[in-house]
Amino acid sequence: MSEQPLKIMVIDDENIVGKRLKPALEKTGDIVETFEEGEKALARFDESPFDIVVTDIRMEKIDGIEILEHILAKSGRTKVIIITGYATVEIAREALSKGAFDFIAKPFKPADLRAIIERASKELRS
Amino acid sequence: MSIIIISSDVREIEEMIAGKVAEEKGYGRLDRRIINDVAARHQVEPGRLIEALETTPSLFRKLSSRQWRYYLSCIEADVLERLLADNLVCWGLAAHLYVTDISHAMKIRVLAGKSSGLAKIAEERGISLQRAETYRDDEMARRKKWSLAAFNQDETDLSRYDLVISLDQIDPVETVRTITGASEYRKFQVMTYSMKCLTDLALAAKVHAVLLKSMADVKVQARDGSVVVSTRASTRQKRKKTETIKALAGQVDGVGYVEVHVKKNFLKETA
Repeated sequence: MSEQPLKIMVIDDENIVGKRLKPALEKTGDIVETFEEGEKALARFDESPFDIVVTDIRMEKIDGIEILEHILAKSGRTKVIIITGYATVEIAREALSKGAFDFIAKPFKPADLRAIIERASKELRS
Repeated sequence: MSIIIISSDVREIEEMIAGKVAEEKGYGRLDRRIINDVAARHQVEPGRLIEALETTPSLFRKLSSRQWRYYLSCIEADVLERLLADNLVCWGLAAHLYVTDISHAMKIRVLAGKSSGLAKIAEERGISLQRAETYRDDEMARRKKWSLAAFNQDETDLSRYDLVISLDQIDPVETVRTITGASEYRKFQVMTYSMKCLTDLALAAKVHAVLLKSMADVKVQARDGSVVVSTRASTRQKRKKTETIKALAGQVDGVGYVEVHVKKNFLKETA
């Protein structure tokens, strides 16, 4: 029996990130929705939770850590993966402390993110 | 999964606490027992490596600055490579000075304090507590000088540690419990970013050691298999040095691309 596709949300204010990641992540049959604004993404999440959320940290209005907190308060089972071009030890530790599943610095290859999603998927299905 | 790096102002205390933490966590130990392996791998005398960890260059001991840096780079390269295995307690190899910006490496400083640390020194050396305090202060000043010379880091600066424990306030049993407890915090767990940083750091150290064997004054940075080497050379030597660096660094496992930045060596230029 084939596994249910994962619902994956990608949030990044740089349009190109969502454009690149969407087809790469959909290759394995998962359902991917991309957002450039945090508020719209959270409104969509409140309507219907996602299994995995991939979010940038530095964004206008709502940053990635606020998104992480909001999502985990709504759905403890969702795996949140933080992506950032401004990675530091402090930010990485803060993200993990607040419940992020993983943290990856930009630029990265779609395959690197895919590997993290596979691990998250295993945990979700275990 | 994490790395715990322990250092102390008193070597015996460092060893005692680190050993107990490793036992408690069921982690592997990374300490000076690797020195023989490091020496064999780099074909140097083990005693010279220990000497490099303890002292600064000296004409009397026939330890030149260039040799000293090479020996330290051999230790650093091996330690970083071993740290990629994770779940380790590391001490006695100066890792607290070169494992930088790795979020899953928790750095601990244990301050021996008067009651246990000085008493231990006094007992082992058969001296008074007052003399033991002077000895400890001299030792700390020496280590500060050494750490600044070796890695441009002041090991006595407590702000660079994740956790500082004074044995005057917390007994050794509680210290071990505190360290093992803190190591469970999510912030110290391995993540994709921190593992990548450690992989890059280990590759840079490996290339650095290879280059320091035959030349001085090189700095190495690595990212995803690409290596950037910065050095100095006279205009006349620039091309040859660049080619040598590219050839040597290119042979290191994991290196895919080498870029060399050469600054003018004005001293040699005017000589």
